[in-house]
Amino acid sequence: MRDELIRRLLVSIPQLLLISFVTFLFIDLAPGDILAKYRFDPRISKETIQQIEQKYHFDKPILVQYGHWLVRLAHFDLGYSFSREANVTAVIVERLFNTFILALFSIIITWLIAIPLGIYAAVRQYSWGDRIMTAISYLGMSLPGFFIALILMYVIYISKDMPIISLLPIGGMISANYESLGFFGKIGDRAAHMVLPVTVLTITALAGLQRISRGNMLEELRKQYIVTARAKGLPENRIIYGHALRNAINPLITLFGFEFSTLLSGAALLEIIINWPGLGSLMLSAVRSQDTFLVMGSMLMGGGMLILGNFVSDILLIIVDPRVRKG
Amino acid sequence: MIFFKDNRAVQKFFHHPLVMPGLITLCFLYTCSIFAEFVAPYNYDNGNREISYQPPSKIHFIHNGKFSLQPFVYSYSFKFNSNYERIYIEDKSRPYSLSLFTKGDKVKLWHIIPIQRHLFGINDSSQKCRLYLFGADPVGRDLFSRIIYGSRVSLSVGLIGVFITSILGFLIGGISGYYGGKTDWLLMRFSECFMLVPSFFLMLALRSAFPIDISSTEVYLLIIVILSLIGWAGFARVIRGMVLSIGKRDFVTAAKALGATDLRIIIIHILPQTVSYAIVSITLSIPGYILGESMLSFIGLGIQDPQASWGNLLGVAMNVADIQYHPWILMPGVFILLSVMAFNFIGDGLRDALDPNR
Amino acid sequence: MNKVLLIFISSLFILQITGCNNGKGNSQKAIASIDSSSAKVDYLALQEKAMKFVPETGKFGGQIVLSTVSDPKSFNPITSTETSTSEFTQYMYEGLIRINGVTLMPEANISDKWEVSGDGLIFTFHIRDNVLWSDSTRFSAYDVEFTFNDLIYNKAITPNSSRDIFTMEGKKIAVKALDSSHVEFRLPFTYAPFLRVLSQEILPKHKYSALVKKGSFSTSLGIQTPPDQMVGTGPFMLESYISSQKVIFKRNPLYWKTDSQGNKLPYLDKIVYTVVTDQNAELLQFKRGEVDYLTAKGEDFPGLKKDEPTSNYSVFRLGPASGSNFLFFNMNNRADPKSKKPYVDSIKLSWFTNTKFRQAIAYALDKDNMINIVMNGLGYPQWSPMAPSEGYFFNSKVTEYPYNIEKAKQILAAEGFIDTNGDGIIEDKGGNPVEFSFVTNSGNNTRVKIAEIIRKDIESLGIKVHFQQIEFNSLIQKIDHPPYEWEAILLGLTGGPEPHSGRNVWHSSGTLHMWSPVQTSAATPWEASIDSIYDAGVKELDTLKRKVLYDRWQQIVSDEVPLIYTVLPEKILCIANKFGNLNPSLNGGLLHNLEYIYVK
Repeated sequence: MRDELIRRLLVSIPQLLLISFVTFLFIDLAPGDILAKYRFDPRISKETIQQIEQKYHFDKPILVQYGHWLVRLAHFDLGYSFSREANVTAVIVERLFNTFILALFSIIITWLIAIPLGIYAAVRQYSWGDRIMTAISYLGMSLPGFFIALILMYVIYISKDMPIISLLPIGGMISANYESLGFFGKIGDRAAHMVLPVTVLTITALAGLQRISRGNMLEELRKQYIVTARAKGLPENRIIYGHALRNAINPLITLFGFEFSTLLSGAALLEIIINWPGLGSLMLSAVRSQDTFLVMGSMLMGGGMLILGNFVSDILLIIVDPRVRKG
Repeated sequence: MIFFKDNRAVQKFFHHPLVMPGLITLCFLYTCSIFAEFVAPYNYDNGNREISYQPPSKIHFIHNGKFSLQPFVYSYSFKFNSNYERIYIEDKSRPYSLSLFTKGDKVKLWHIIPIQRHLFGINDSSQKCRLYLFGADPVGRDLFSRIIYGSRVSLSVGLIGVFITSILGFLIGGISGYYGGKTDWLLMRFSECFMLVPSFFLMLALRSAFPIDISSTEVYLLIIVILSLIGWAGFARVIRGMVLSIGKRDFVTAAKALGATDLRIIIIHILPQTVSYAIVSITLSIPGYILGESMLSFIGLGIQDPQASWGNLLGVAMNVADIQYHPWILMPGVFILLSVMAFNFIGDGLRDALDPNR
Repeated sequence: MNKVLLIFISSLFILQITGCNNGKGNSQKAIASIDSSSAKVDYLALQEKAMKFVPETGKFGGQIVLSTVSDPKSFNPITSTETSTSEFTQYMYEGLIRINGVTLMPEANISDKWEVSGDGLIFTFHIRDNVLWSDSTRFSAYDVEFTFNDLIYNKAITPNSSRDIFTMEGKKIAVKALDSSHVEFRLPFTYAPFLRVLSQEILPKHKYSALVKKGSFSTSLGIQTPPDQMVGTGPFMLESYISSQKVIFKRNPLYWKTDSQGNKLPYLDKIVYTVVTDQNAELLQFKRGEVDYLTAKGEDFPGLKKDEPTSNYSVFRLGPASGSNFLFFNMNNRADPKSKKPYVDSIKLSWFTNTKFRQAIAYALDKDNMINIVMNGLGYPQWSPMAPSEGYFFNSKVTEYPYNIEKAKQILAAEGFIDTNGDGIIEDKGGNPVEFSFVTNSGNNTRVKIAEIIRKDIESLGIKVHFQQIEFNSLIQKIDHPPYEWEAILLGLTGGPEPHSGRNVWHSSGTLHMWSPVQTSAATPWEASIDSIYDAGVKELDTLKRKVLYDRWQQIVSDEVPLIYTVLPEKILCIANKFGNLNPSLNGGLLHNLEYIYVK
């Protein structure tokens, strides 16, 4: 199993490079010009623009440009971002963490809520509670994340008179007076700012996960060994949590990577609406300003985060399922 | 098709409590979208700028104290008050009655058949008074009509996209699972490339490759291609897994012995076994396409004005001021919700019906 | 169990009910309704008042929280080309001259007096005695010399936007420090806007000359640089920068300017910028008091104004802001040198170069609807290439084109544009149906909405219009490069108080002479007239004579309409009530005298 893991990790590197090359090709073939805004600025002369063109080899053919990019990549240099006037690596690294913690907290909270709800729904199948949860799940899966985000923002805004909700921040990651807060104040401030985005992401992810965990639990509970266990006189709780759950969780862990990917995507659009300084909003503005190096770098990082997520889920699977360990 | 032979599956499907509402909703929505030019009282680009943002027309039955069987509306006008809020005033002097099969905008059904009668509307060719079921957009266009026209894009993207994805998935998954070995390894690693990058990122990157100044038709096709490219890998992998196990069965060995070509075996013998899974998977992935298109159009990279799609209709509305003063502009979101939910209902019904475990 | 249908029908119901409430509720409140044209702000009176303003002595302490859409990408005033950078560096660095926030005219700053030689070529500036750098070093003329000779004119430092401003027809200005408090500028020829460009930021020699020698100045003063490395003379210093979140400035205790009582300005302790990329979030944050200042859009005005009486902020309407949007056609009459194919189809070129055609289009644009729909009624039509908020050189007496479809049709008919075959599209004298493509950039909501209205207006004339939105960069490439593949475009430019800053646009040889760039000689008599105005205006030192020249330029533009201007938004500024010494003016806004603003 360990060899399989390492092999998969190694293979993912050329895969990432392949998709990065394809993207590079696409972006380069597209009409439009990175330096357009420089050209449009009346204060800048032609010579200045030419100097920039030469420095980054814009006048050479595509393969050569990609080659230079690869060489820089080996030195952990992702190039220069024109729209942000800084090194791509620096720009991305600042934001990588922000997107990551959003997705991470969302997936943790989603799991903490979805699995118990799924168990409850499975155990009391077709009860009113199950039906309400099913209805809400469908709702959560069907509404676009950006739609939910704006409605929540508006709800917070108009609830000026309600005690807790009115204190929730609407956007951004930290408040104006962040620097002057104490250690716990800072943590509280960041947490308060995370409530809105994590809520939106959780709502969208919760629905699907709850239904899947309910489905898995239902399947497990029908199996022969459960009938045997009941016949043996094991207490119901032990059956549910000790046996059925452990097996039902397996497919969920395999889904972890996929979930993480969905959350990363969802976070991207969300970041723009609520001004969360993450990789998603960075990439959108990079695409809009055709900042090639930044787009490539962001894509790579998105892929990197996902590979990490998959790796974690594989390890989790090894820990949880002894059958996998032996295989 | 195999599952049709199993009456129990069909019965189970229709008995599932959520399937009927889902089917009815979809039938309704798709009918509206096919006959959009007829169902919508106005052309998608026909607006009266003088009454931008008009709230939904109030439908009356009593005029000057007299009850009338035929519903009617009054014409609206607006002024700004000192806070520059819009005040809409109904002109109660003249009622405009609503009727069915009214004469309205001259449009071409499916761009071919010229029609002038619409399902319902106001019988007034001067269009001084307009019927705004869901209110008006900023340039005075009927939101209801635009939602109906928009349904064409949003609903068809799912169907066509999923069609392409399934062809790609069947082909690549089938070949990969059947041949195994190096071919399988290569194809699967190739498919993983597309799953390595979170979908939104990949979508943006691919979209940025093409100019934004291409015609609406071209954007539409491009969106379908992009969404299919993102979606095929997952489907292909599962098909491959299924083909892998099916390929070991006796009837396949028999077919080989009888001299059938590989392609024939894959397409005619193996793939049909995967159909029940495929149908469920396809139905459940259509919502993803609808949502994907609405995301792209919402951020301005998809269908653009004056063409309508549910995504770009919402994109115009994303403003706190809009929600506060003109909440009806959020209606397209309700339509996205309804269509996606309907597909989910049907998909679940299919899955429950075709599940071999029950 | 038709849950779904139930939801659907009930949402329809709810809409009808809310529709009811909207209609009833609003008409029951007895708020006077107004005719939008009579509610324009008397900004000239405001301007008068602003010029007479005398600041009172304020209290020390407190902070102001501002919001910005763009994250600073650099703090280097020399190398940065982003306009967002100067928003931040304006607090830290100063020039010999500053531009007065109300009159927009140059006035004394670090230099308190200067002499000009008779021929207008030699400027000698005296430097104020008490100016210190934020690290306590004395400011001297050698710093000025260093800034120009070692930074601005240094070819090794790229990019370098200032160099282009200070290079006059390829020649440099000779800058020499005569002694520690006198610096001399020798110009190659007379340059009327010279004083104005001396608002150029001056950087300290003692701090940065080492960096220049090492060659690392271009990458210094960036967002990674520790704040104590940024030394300036301005009222504030950078305290900290948290990427994409906050930029915090703190008071510079060594700032040279004092109030009437002799206290050292500024009064505020801190300026805190919070980066908000989404305008929705910005509005909500302001209303909740997390941000103290807001530039509001017309559509946000009702919500803000309604709550003003019960809140702790005030809303100011100041008159027409800058931020033009104009429609223009491709009048490029040249051809590709290799293939000899003309850039613009000759039939279409004959329409676009026909002044009457353009004037007819100008009459067909419904500006009132643009103001009502795009700006919620809070806007003004624009006729001149300059905006009223740009100050002294603005000419309000130019040719206007009030919306008149009939007149537009008549003008077109007189030029032979008639629908001869009844298909709804007009044809020119040669029988060619009139149609063209019309483009604007995506990503600018206001502009796209205006473009939509323009499209419909032109179509009502019987002209077929193909409208598209393109990515901004792609659009610029089309305008700047052969084969100049475009026909009609809606775009905007930022202006400024100095007409000469638009030379690249208005002179036929200019790279931004968008309808036909980089001409070797003017293609039309009126372009030739504008060229000679620009050639003369830059050298004319008599301000009154310059005004006459540039008035004429604006008159020509409004007559020939190479750029058909549309509408300007209202400048709507909101600020928390706790601040004193506010002096609202159209030209300067609310924060032009930030060093005098204090917390009451």
